[in-house]
Amino acid sequence: MGIKIANFEIKNPIIAASGTFGYADEYEDFCDVSKIGAIATKGITLEPRAGNEGDRIFETNSGMINRIGLENIGIERFIDEKIPILKKKNITYILNAAGSTIEDYSKLATIANKNGIEAIELNVSCPNVKSGCLEFGVDSNSLYELVLSVRKNYDGCLIVKLTPNVTSIENLALAVQKAGADAISAINTLKGLGIKIDFINGKFYKKEVQGGLSGKCIKPVALSMVKRIRSVTTLPIIGMGGISCLNDLFEFISVGADAFEVGTHNFTQCDACNILADNLEKFIKTKGFKDFEDLKEKIKEIK
Amino acid sequence: MKKIQKGSIKNIEKIAKDTFALEINSNVMQACSGQFISILCPPKTLRRPFSIKGFKDGVLEVFFKLKGDGTNYIKALQIGDSIDFMGPLGQGFKIQNKKSLLIGAGIGIAPMLFLKDELNKKGVENFLITGFKAQDEVIEGSDKTVIGGSVIDFLPEVIEKFKPEIIYSCGPEIVLKLVTRVAQKYNLEAQIAMEKVFACQVGVCRGCVIKILKDGKIQNATICHDGPVFDAKAVVWE
Repeated sequence: MGIKIANFEIKNPIIAASGTFGYADEYEDFCDVSKIGAIATKGITLEPRAGNEGDRIFETNSGMINRIGLENIGIERFIDEKIPILKKKNITYILNAAGSTIEDYSKLATIANKNGIEAIELNVSCPNVKSGCLEFGVDSNSLYELVLSVRKNYDGCLIVKLTPNVTSIENLALAVQKAGADAISAINTLKGLGIKIDFINGKFYKKEVQGGLSGKCIKPVALSMVKRIRSVTTLPIIGMGGISCLNDLFEFISVGADAFEVGTHNFTQCDACNILADNLEKFIKTKGFKDFEDLKEKIKEIK
Repeated sequence: MKKIQKGSIKNIEKIAKDTFALEINSNVMQACSGQFISILCPPKTLRRPFSIKGFKDGVLEVFFKLKGDGTNYIKALQIGDSIDFMGPLGQGFKIQNKKSLLIGAGIGIAPMLFLKDELNKKGVENFLITGFKAQDEVIEGSDKTVIGGSVIDFLPEVIEKFKPEIIYSCGPEIVLKLVTRVAQKYNLEAQIAMEKVFACQVGVCRGCVIKILKDGKIQNATICHDGPVFDAKAVVWE
């Protein structure tokens, strides 16, 4: 079931999405982590980050909103503490990298290169300090410069994770391709606001959580975005957004995805990646397909 | 053993207004008070965590209160039905051989009853005081039950009479905050079991962090994995 994204080999097409699987080893008591196609790590920055204050999670109908704020241990500790475990346990991983300046990303890329990290997924939904904190991922010029600068410092598989909170995702996909990225992953979370109002003992109470919406409710947006990205680029696309079952994979294939990330569904069922990969393999074997590529072709041919 | 498994419903029984005791047959070998299990409640995205109320021969008991779709799903299950849960999860109470005052508020009585059992088995003298909003919400099993008022108001009297050496507590944040204050006033050690909305249940998503004082530094701790039980002194309240 192994596939390649550019030159990066993963064990199967199902990847655990960043932020939903920590640094992977934490899930060992719950599922067979080494069998997962790959794990996109928690977003990692140059320095450790404590994340946001206050409530960070809000459940919605068919999904959730999070505002974790990139709490992470920083690249240094990741390399010293986590990589040896990941290697020892034969866990395939992708470094999800985040920063607030182009220099941050370039430094992360240089460090990743030096330490033999085989794949990076750029989280470009971070505020760009230089451009008045507008996210890198919403402006094609900033995104182009960012990816170009990372590319110069990094020889491994470079994946850029696009945000759906834009007017033209096509322009951003083109910028990423032009700057020399190897693949696109899409979509990141949608901007959302969760509000809960209670009326208790004659008084109103309000809870508000503004952050990124994910889960089953965003799948139609994700499918639409992947289709639009596919219409302008031949780069491999890792599709994500609300994936929870085999049919979701088929839907993402039909709009042009080559691999998949499972995110929020890991919270519902933490062995979801293993189950999906098993179901995909079973389907291919029992329904008369040669392999995953063959299945993809057949789905794309559907009229 | 993988900590995610399917158990079966042994019993569901109403114990107070909108409140139920749920018994699950499982392969779990060990559980302690303060730990919790997280139940899958389709079609909800997030699992629902419940403090363990009792554990014997693989049978896990939890209490749940009807709040919405998640708990209504559990209530609708029948004896013999399969139930998907993760756990036991989290760090439980660190039981000490000291005269113990247990304080529970509302459904927070569940881990207190489990702890009381454990203390009784060890022969540790203990006293459980609990508070409920109304008579029909009362869950049995305490040495003193406060109805309508605040359990906190009764603590000075109980402490002076019972003379505890340690406090254990579970309940809403506001109660735990006040318990911490009382413990400080009487210079008593206190362990408190906290709660928040959990996404991953195992500490990876960082969705349920609180600030704690550790090694002289304020740092993040997850309620689901580093807790739910914390030394009250270490908690930095928002």
